[in-house]
Amino acid sequence: MAIEVTDSNFDEIVINSDKPVIVDFWAEWCGPCRMVAPIIDEISKEYEGKAVVTKCDVDSNPRVASKYSIRNIPTVLYFKDGKIADKQVGAVPKSNFVAKLNALI
Amino acid sequence: MTICVFASSSSRINTKYAEAASHLGCLLSKAHMDVVYGGGGMGLMGKLADSMIENGGTITGVIPLFMKNEGWNHSEVSRMIITPDMGERKRLMFEMADAVVALPGGIGTLEELTEAITLKQLGLFSGPIVILNTMGFYNSLIDFLEQMISGQFLRLEHRKIWEVAGTPEEVMSCLLRNEAWHHDPLGIAKI
Repeated sequence: MAIEVTDSNFDEIVINSDKPVIVDFWAEWCGPCRMVAPIIDEISKEYEGKAVVTKCDVDSNPRVASKYSIRNIPTVLYFKDGKIADKQVGAVPKSNFVAKLNALI
Repeated sequence: MTICVFASSSSRINTKYAEAASHLGCLLSKAHMDVVYGGGGMGLMGKLADSMIENGGTITGVIPLFMKNEGWNHSEVSRMIITPDMGERKRLMFEMADAVVALPGGIGTLEELTEAITLKQLGLFSGPIVILNTMGFYNSLIDFLEQMISGQFLRLEHRKIWEVAGTPEEVMSCLLRNEAWHHDPLGIAKI
């Protein structure tokens, strides 16, 4: 399962990570987010030890959502060394998410 | 109450239509009604969204990824749901909607409005469907619907599926009245 990140633990889990990090920004009212969530969970299993896979509820965590200007969801951000390395907007096939992650490992 | 608004994305139409879209956005915001719409930044969609944001209302855009990639989305709407395709966009909008309002529009708007009417006829949607008939834009469609009734392609009872409003204020009255649809829509669906 993807790790739940929040306004309070975001820096610790995402920014300070020594591995590449995926953050899946989602919301309760977003239908396509429900298509992305199981894909992200699968990736979290498959990349255990190689990458950190997380999800962030934009409604409960406005600080993070506004810092990264998350207006469009689903949005998946890819972090490397604390900085945004890539971005995927929308519900796309698993292969798209995986390709972007592989490029960072 | 969440109102699903279908509207044109054309910026070349008479400014009277834009004024009505802006005014409706203002009235909806002030009535604390949330809006879900197609996420566009241009035309009546854009005017409605601008007005909702300006008046502190809550508006959610639902737009397919390819349109977002073309840059057709409104850039200031704080909630924008990106869907894989057009079908999912419409499905989500109906899922979120307690009522539907159609502003003047082209083929896309017409298709969305007639799907709403179809869903209500079949008992799959029960909220108000209000047609904003600014400057008589929808007169021909309303005549056509009447022709369907007189020709018995639709039942007389089906005339209650939609309501026609001349002004944004009348749209608000229809939404607030929230008149109940038929107790057994499927029972009268067969003509």
